Amino acid sequence: MRLRTLLPGLFVVAMIIAFLEFAVDAGMIRRALLPPPSATAEVLWELLSTGEFLPPLLSTLKLVFAGFFLGSAIGIGLGTAMGVSPAMYRLFEPLVELIRPIPKSALVPPLMLFLGIDDAMKITSVTLVVTFPVLLNTLQGVRGVDRVMLDAARTHGWGLGHTLWHMILPAALPFILAGMRVSLGLAMVLAVLSEMLAGQGGLGFLILDMQRSFQLRQMYAWLVILAVLGLLLNSIFLLAERRALFWQRR
Amino acid sequence: MAFLELDALGKFYPQPGGAPPARIMERVSLTVPEGEFLAVLGPSGCGKSTLLQMVAGLTTPSEGEARINGRAVAGPPPEAVYLFQQYNRSLLPWRNCRDNVAFATEHRLGRKPARAAADEQLAQVGLAGFGDHYPWQLSGGMQQRVAIARALAAEPALLLMDEPFSAVDALTRIQLQSLILDIWARRKLTVMLVTHDVEEAIFLADRIAVLTPRPSTIGEVIEVGLPRPRDAIATREAPRFLELRHHLLNRLLARDAA
Repeated sequence: MRLRTLLPGLFVVAMIIAFLEFAVDAGMIRRALLPPPSATAEVLWELLSTGEFLPPLLSTLKLVFAGFFLGSAIGIGLGTAMGVSPAMYRLFEPLVELIRPIPKSALVPPLMLFLGIDDAMKITSVTLVVTFPVLLNTLQGVRGVDRVMLDAARTHGWGLGHTLWHMILPAALPFILAGMRVSLGLAMVLAVLSEMLAGQGGLGFLILDMQRSFQLRQMYAWLVILAVLGLLLNSIFLLAERRALFWQRR
Repeated sequence: MAFLELDALGKFYPQPGGAPPARIMERVSLTVPEGEFLAVLGPSGCGKSTLLQMVAGLTTPSEGEARINGRAVAGPPPEAVYLFQQYNRSLLPWRNCRDNVAFATEHRLGRKPARAAADEQLAQVGLAGFGDHYPWQLSGGMQQRVAIARALAAEPALLLMDEPFSAVDALTRIQLQSLILDIWARRKLTVMLVTHDVEEAIFLADRIAVLTPRPSTIGEVIEVGLPRPRDAIATREAPRFLELRHHLLNRLLARDAA
């Protein structure tokens, strides 16, 4: 049933690929810019069947995951503290508002000065971009916890720690997860970008490297791998989110 | 000795721009002996909930104090539990009924013993076998039963009820009122109920304190004097019931006293 609802959209994608194949064949698009999709598919198959795709993929994935978890942890921790304590809010709000509007991609060059071009720099830049959406959503979720619910905890004598863990965080979870979903996409962007700017490997580095050496079939093949990775990560996250928020189907 | 004392309780909120503070309530004094069922009756917006929250330690009084067993209330007292009108906002939607009842004691006993006791509490409010259901799978009346089971699981000496039956349908309300009377008699609780429902106050309470409009204070205190156990139908037809209803409605609707 799910497949049937997906079919029309998949058909559109197939049509576009078929059209590109035809357009390149007929000379409407220069082969030098876009190899026919079938040629890209051949390279893609080679990358997949030899397992050559795996090391760069894992290298990018490592950056995405490390930054995503670090950034989420910082965002949730700081957002919760700022949401619960007015003193913490006053302490950190100006700093957050100062750093938040900076496109985090612009911070990669200065980060390279301090952290070099290794994983430390790349993970830091991913962490930075992940932190803010998670932080702001956590803050909003924590502040939005129903006063009646909080009073129920108080009248039953719950302490702050117990209330935080068993009431405030679960109640804020829909907001936190929405922030994390946005951040997951941004984490991919920053991982690929920092690999391009300071690359020794990984999908971002390869895509740029293949373009510079005019190996366009390879470039497009890696691009496809990146796209599928993004799609997979997002689907897995959506699935986990729906599971965690089962109680929201009201 | 008086179990619960309200000593000249008052509440006012500061107004912006140097205007005199808005007085919600002033000089509310009452003495409630242990085991009494007291109803506080007042029109909407007279600050009934605020009064109850001051007793529950959820709101700080602007003047005066509430005392339980002679100790001034500062923060939620261990003897009292507050039963909210909005059961759908006070229960945790991500917890099933068993875990919602365990809510009352898990922080003191630990999760496991609290859970083990929860099924028994659910059975006492007529929800045996509903431990695995989630609140959003139940009707409003059943959700309020879960909230009652949770309040009882804390084994309070004083139960503070904030219009607990106003959000359920009329038949369910009558059933829940009888349930509360049962539990009150069995457990020898002291109950303070605030309500705008005249019949509910008469049916349930030993005494009714009537609040005046803002700034509210206690206008009169009436002994109900209806025999117990009370019956959902017969009690409501007793001459004394009708007489009280007439008197109280007159008062609340601000007509001439009969």
